[in-house]
Amino acid sequence: MLRYTVKRLLQLAVALLGLTLLLFAWFKALPGGPENRMLPDNATDQQREALRRALGLDEPIWTQYGEFLARIVRLDFGSSLSSGRPVATELADRLPATIELSLTAIVIAIGVGIPLGYLAARKRGTWLDFGAVSGSLIGICTPVFFLAAMLKVVFAQNLGWLPTAFRLSPGMSYTEITGLRVLDGIVTGEFNVAWDAFTHLVLPAIALASIPLAVITRITRASVLEVVGEDYVRTADAKGLKPATIRGRHVMKNAMLPVVTVIGLLLGSLFAGAVLTESVFAFGGVGSFVYQATTERDYPALMGFILLIAVSYVVLNLIVDLSYGFLDPRVRVRS
Amino acid sequence: MALLEVEDLRVAFGDTTAVDGVDFHVDQGRVTGLVGESGCGKSVTSLAVMGLLPRRGVTVSGTARFEGVDLLSLPRADMRRRRGSDLAMVFQDPLSSLNPVVQIGRQITEVLERHRGLRGEAARKEAEDLLDRVGIPDPRRRLGEYPHQLSGGMRQRVLIAIAVACAPRLLIADEPTTALDVTIQAQILELLKDLVDAEGTALLMITHDLGVVAGLCDEVNVLYSGRVVESASARDLFARPTHPYTVGLLGSIPRLDLPIDEPLEPIRGSIADVIRWKDGCAFAPRCDRVAEPCVDGEPPLIGTAHAHRCVMAEETV
Repeated sequence: MLRYTVKRLLQLAVALLGLTLLLFAWFKALPGGPENRMLPDNATDQQREALRRALGLDEPIWTQYGEFLARIVRLDFGSSLSSGRPVATELADRLPATIELSLTAIVIAIGVGIPLGYLAARKRGTWLDFGAVSGSLIGICTPVFFLAAMLKVVFAQNLGWLPTAFRLSPGMSYTEITGLRVLDGIVTGEFNVAWDAFTHLVLPAIALASIPLAVITRITRASVLEVVGEDYVRTADAKGLKPATIRGRHVMKNAMLPVVTVIGLLLGSLFAGAVLTESVFAFGGVGSFVYQATTERDYPALMGFILLIAVSYVVLNLIVDLSYGFLDPRVRVRS
Repeated sequence: MALLEVEDLRVAFGDTTAVDGVDFHVDQGRVTGLVGESGCGKSVTSLAVMGLLPRRGVTVSGTARFEGVDLLSLPRADMRRRRGSDLAMVFQDPLSSLNPVVQIGRQITEVLERHRGLRGEAARKEAEDLLDRVGIPDPRRRLGEYPHQLSGGMRQRVLIAIAVACAPRLLIADEPTTALDVTIQAQILELLKDLVDAEGTALLMITHDLGVVAGLCDEVNVLYSGRVVESASARDLFARPTHPYTVGLLGSIPRLDLPIDEPLEPIRGSIADVIRWKDGCAFAPRCDRVAEPCVDGEPPLIGTAHAHRCVMAEETV
């Protein structure tokens, strides 16, 4: 297991190095260039040239890449062209909101998707199964920004059940510990804050959860259907075990293996959904920041964000792969 | 009274009849064989007795009395209490019949926990003894291992250990050696024989292998197309096979005492060439001795100790 972990960490380093190279090449290939963004339209060519020299853009390409790498290692992504603050600080400030939103979404997706997928499989061919399968198809097909906007219009604006935007109601005071406001509210005993933050979280979290929920439901259903037909489930039945034991130890433990893999992949793509959801609900997370950075050609901010996503994607998948080793003894030995 | 008395067992999957009125019995402490080719309904018969057939799309009728209690009409919870304790089963494929992600030890102790109330160290100790009994060396270490770390023969031994864990009175073995190497097959059969002899357990041996029957069984029932066509003691059956199907089965086995260039005698046609038992003998389309009476209604079971279902047998014996 240790050797496997080390091997995977080395692979991770290689993957990230490859990513920085791609990212660097991509930004170099983009038309426009930072000097055009940073200078007014009527700037002279001399002024542009001077800025390029000041930014080091006239250096040989490999020197630029080396500098780029060195700064990434120091977590120095430069300053945002819009706000002038360091990108790392901007991201760090907003990260808790995105983490809170993504965590809530994935908890909903797992907490509802796995039981629903199991039930659909066991009640195969019934209305429940039909509903789960077609519902999840709709979930996969509906764009996140559309669903987010619909939820907002119906439940926040028309029905007025939930707040339309932001993470807390205006004027609410709040003690920050982790930045996950529901959690902070519970920890500090400010339950009104926790509840208020929760009501702000519901709609964006549901919107963000829709696709992972649909995928997890379908994968669970397919996986359970496959496992219940396995010989070892029949063996368990032949032992006269209680249905709950058969379900937990013999069906679900095996059926969860593909689901775990898929969850790992979904976690990464959750960030992409978060960008859209957060901008609809003005949620103030990394997503809203990036939406703004994209529209304003804020290169350092985009660069920092892409690296953040890439690192979290690779790290989350490493965690999933390692946990896979714990779930499936066959993987453990092969490594 | 027989330990298990199966009468007029019928199993249909939708419109397809798999078992078409099977009768046989298993006596206390005896080894009874259920023999036939693929698709004759022998596995389905055993699954029906164990109550392991899927509920949806399957119709089961008839009776299977175990110590006088009809298993087929027992409530599901009662049947679940008997499975694994009163009657247990060893399956054909040891590679797929063990849960790949659960330790061997747990797969044994869970049945001890369920039926004998053993927990913790007591259950582990018993599991260790069981593995020792089925001939697995270093059982304590094996308890913590997973199925993929064991060879096929070892896995079948584990499955046998699980089956005998609660000292069942009836053990059903569904082709327990088919998936194993020939050398391992003999060891597994030997083990089964020793276990049932030591405990006085009745064994219902389901097989297509007449060699297994000759070596192991006291009584034999030959199945064809979902019905018993001949039933006798093993000695009698091999000495005086009466039903043309049994004769054909025995005739198609290669023999060491015949010249090497002597061609084997297969049974012509396939099990798909069949007529329904209620219209006549299902074997008639493949039978060399077929005559008018064969397709004139349902052939009765003739005889008691050595019974057969061939209306032409009187003329040919």
